[in-house]
Amino acid sequence: MEMKDIIKKYEIIGIVSNYKISLDNSLKVKDLDIKNLPQALKMVGLTEDCIDKFINDLTLSELFKVDLATKLNKDIIVIGGLSNYLNYKDQEYIKKILTKLNQDYHKYIIVIDENVKVFINLVKRIYVLDNKNIVYETSDFYDLELYKYTKMPKIIEFINYVNQNNKINKTLDIYELIKDIFRSVS
Amino acid sequence: MITDVSIVSTNLNYKLVDNYKDYFVVKDNFKMEDLLKHKNVIFFNCLNNLEDQKVKEIFSILKDNQINFINVTNNMEQVLLTSYLKVYDKENVLIEGSTIEVLKSEKLLKRIGLELPFMVELSLLLKDYNLIDKIYLDKESLVNDLWK
Repeated sequence: MEMKDIIKKYEIIGIVSNYKISLDNSLKVKDLDIKNLPQALKMVGLTEDCIDKFINDLTLSELFKVDLATKLNKDIIVIGGLSNYLNYKDQEYIKKILTKLNQDYHKYIIVIDENVKVFINLVKRIYVLDNKNIVYETSDFYDLELYKYTKMPKIIEFINYVNQNNKINKTLDIYELIKDIFRSVS
Repeated sequence: MITDVSIVSTNLNYKLVDNYKDYFVVKDNFKMEDLLKHKNVIFFNCLNNLEDQKVKEIFSILKDNQINFINVTNNMEQVLLTSYLKVYDKENVLIEGSTIEVLKSEKLLKRIGLELPFMVELSLLLKDYNLIDKIYLDKESLVNDLWK
């Protein structure tokens, strides 16, 4: 199956792989090929203060957001490293932006990350690639086969452990988990 | 002297490691034998996606060789693997201390955009429901105590 067929079908997909941002460190943000620079920066959560900064001087979070800004005008946005470059709050913010780009601007989004946790509440399907070939795909975060290739999110690890001897619902939401534990032990 | 430290920040920046001039800085792949040549090592956001067990093994080898280390990370789960935690808000230390004590500042950490390690957050929520009375760091003990 070709990658373009996959993204047309699922629109936001996750790929389990490492990802490194490769912007030229010798350039300033204003030198990058970003259309409507001030608006693009605003959309990704940056201020115009960044415009005169060298790529090398950006924080990891700024670097990620600038990388995303360079891709906003593309039909297919390939972005990666949320778990590595961003703190939790920024991850959630970027997930909202990617969802908006998909739903309101009809962009196809490919999110690359080694940490499946960032795919929760974002992607519809997860692919594992090995040397550009798809070696596994699933839309079930509780699919144990997936974790032969990557780390299991802690909440899934916990619920699977509990369910060895007890019975609680599979969820990806810690507040649902708390309610279920309460019902189970009370 | 504190030998194992995690650093988390609202906005990680390479400049953070400039304060640690005596440290060997690791930003990418590394060989263990290279780390053992130094007295002080700082990992800059490069252990994030390793399994916890692997990171524990690395830290254990460093401790056995009396090497001080700092793990600068965006992975809040990994802060549980060191005894001391420093939280930066941009370039200033906001709070520091024993890891568990710092993590008890739940509201402060969340306000600045950091999450808690899963077991700590789960324990605090279960405490709110009066189901437990302490923070558990391992799932086995927590499950044993909840489903006695």
